[in-house]
Amino acid sequence: MDVANKKNIGWYLIFTLPLLIIFTIIVVIPFVIGIYYAFFEWDGINANPKVFVGMENFLTLFSDDRFLRSTWLTVLFTVLSVISVNVVGLAFALLVTSKLKLGNLARTMFFMPYLIGGLILGYIWQFVFLDVFTFVGELLGLESIFFNWLLNENFALFALVFVFTWQMAGYVMIVYIAGIQGIPGELIEASKVDGASKWQRLMRITFPLLMPAFTISLFLTLSYGFKIYDVNLSLTGGGPANATELFAMNIYNEIFGYGNYGYGQAKAILFFVIIAAITLTQVYLTKKREVDM
Amino acid sequence: MVFKKKFTAGIALAALMTGLAACSGGEEATTEGGEGGAEKITIFQTKVEISDQLEAAAETYTEETGVEVEVIGTTGDDYFQQLQIRLNNGTGPSIMSVQNATVAESLQSYLHDLSDEEFVSNIAPDMALTLEDKVVGIPYGVEGFGIIYNKDLVNPEDIQDYESFVSTLEKFNAEGINGYALSSEAYFLIGHMINYPFSIQEEPIEFMDSLSAGEVTMAETEEFLRFGEYMEAIRANTPSPLSTSYDQQVGDFAAGKTAMIHQGNWAWGLLQDFEVDFEVGMAPFPLEGNDKLAVGVGSNWAVNSDKEPEEIQAATDFLEWLHTSETGKRIIVEDFGFVPAMTNIEANDLDPLSQAILEASNSGETIPWSHNYFPANLVLNDFAPAAEKFFVNEEMTSEEFITNLDAAWQNAIK
Repeated sequence: MDVANKKNIGWYLIFTLPLLIIFTIIVVIPFVIGIYYAFFEWDGINANPKVFVGMENFLTLFSDDRFLRSTWLTVLFTVLSVISVNVVGLAFALLVTSKLKLGNLARTMFFMPYLIGGLILGYIWQFVFLDVFTFVGELLGLESIFFNWLLNENFALFALVFVFTWQMAGYVMIVYIAGIQGIPGELIEASKVDGASKWQRLMRITFPLLMPAFTISLFLTLSYGFKIYDVNLSLTGGGPANATELFAMNIYNEIFGYGNYGYGQAKAILFFVIIAAITLTQVYLTKKREVDM
Repeated sequence: MVFKKKFTAGIALAALMTGLAACSGGEEATTEGGEGGAEKITIFQTKVEISDQLEAAAETYTEETGVEVEVIGTTGDDYFQQLQIRLNNGTGPSIMSVQNATVAESLQSYLHDLSDEEFVSNIAPDMALTLEDKVVGIPYGVEGFGIIYNKDLVNPEDIQDYESFVSTLEKFNAEGINGYALSSEAYFLIGHMINYPFSIQEEPIEFMDSLSAGEVTMAETEEFLRFGEYMEAIRANTPSPLSTSYDQQVGDFAAGKTAMIHQGNWAWGLLQDFEVDFEVGMAPFPLEGNDKLAVGVGSNWAVNSDKEPEEIQAATDFLEWLHTSETGKRIIVEDFGFVPAMTNIEANDLDPLSQAILEASNSGETIPWSHNYFPANLVLNDFAPAAEKFFVNEEMTSEEFITNLDAAWQNAIK
């Protein structure tokens, strides 16, 4: 190892150590403690007894109807959101990079919802569904489409997907814009010279070269979708009648609503395993298809 | 390759930045009192209605004694969860609210024994929160709920029994007025309403015990089936309570858009904020001929025993000041608007709702608050979703609703 490399190690440490320490304190340690609690029956109040129950918490999971329903809802929500967020986000990106006059303004506006934050967004949209939707419904006579989605057990989940898309589309748009702008102009020009149509250029050049952006966007929306809590809390609160109680909220309710700390932790561990498995698979699959330049 | 690396690194950095930004919004930990005795106490309590007044009271107290009092804001419904988080991570308040005996039991290791304090002897008979014969909580005050009605629109004679109640609702529905509003918060949606069929049982607590033991069900009890019919009539003739918040419910009432709401005397402060300009009355909910208001203790002040002795002493001092000094007594009655549950505090000039509660309480013409004896968190966890299901599914019958409540009860005690 030469001198320059040794110097580099020093720099690496300066930059990574603080992060490593923070990560250990707020992620690793609570995570390990959480695994420990998952084997106990405990109500979450420090002074009250913890009873060791072994694997029982994990076994109960699979016969817990409310939990299984919540799992299914989360999967449904995530699948729908990943599709809608990425389609809308990509469409936005293509739109604002297409020499549009108001490109920069549009870019800012599309990104804005992401800056508002899930909680406030949820409350704003609660108002939109309650007042604006019903108003539009009455105005256009389309009461079967425009009614308060939040009070319908089947539509409330779509309302959640809708708001989540509204929030996240601008964010993945930025990722796609970065990708699109990274595509060298020569390639596009060369393809024009060769007589490729717009569609061919999109499918044969833009999309393959966007693969890294796809990886990141899909990864982001997939894990964000799975972990969603803030929009869920403020928009529907899990209601009506637990019809939109997603994974994270189910865990919260188990721990703080029913006071089953240990059982809730068991759910959280399973939650982690599922998210880790899905996102790792997804990253692996998309990486394989990336085109190196 | 270089392009890809740079690009990926850029994105990773962007993601990291947003991650960090999201974390920085955390709350500051409450600071412990300084050296040599507590100079600071914290209060975390459940009643949203008195938040502003309590802050003002805290300032007054600081001026008088020099002890700093921090009031931590509350959101109401999830108070117990928030309290639990604070107690576990060591930022527990010095003074907290304990809603009832069920909660006191689960928090018992945190409750300071107040039995020896002199001012505790002023608590009205049977109103103190006790645990194994120790006084652990001082009642906020006596509270009660019933049908709050607009005297310009409703004649109490018209809501005397099921038939008249329903025809009144139908009449208002035809006029485009909301006849009877509940609101979407768990307790205002079902928690208080469900009291009636329990409280008009001859022995409500024994009834709950046999319910838990599986000896009876609500679905085979007359009062509950009647109650279901009332709920069905409310669902059929009024806008969905699920789209109404407590603020809107009271606001619409004050604006004359709603004729009756189911609320308690605590709503008076909000009614005043909305500048209500008509006479307001409180009537009993007429289930099975019930002619009494539901009166009980809404919450209790308790001192956190998991603190330094100095801070416990300072917290107790604050409660003593609140319940014995002239300023404190005035704050309880005038600012908080409580109907006092202390014999040394006189209630004068009560608002009309509190006056109704006080009169009912003095005459003994009341029914108890059964929900104080429900299994922990039952209303929030299980009754509220069941009620939501009932309100969103127009075709659900009242029998199905009551059966769902039975299932909810069983789920809560398992």
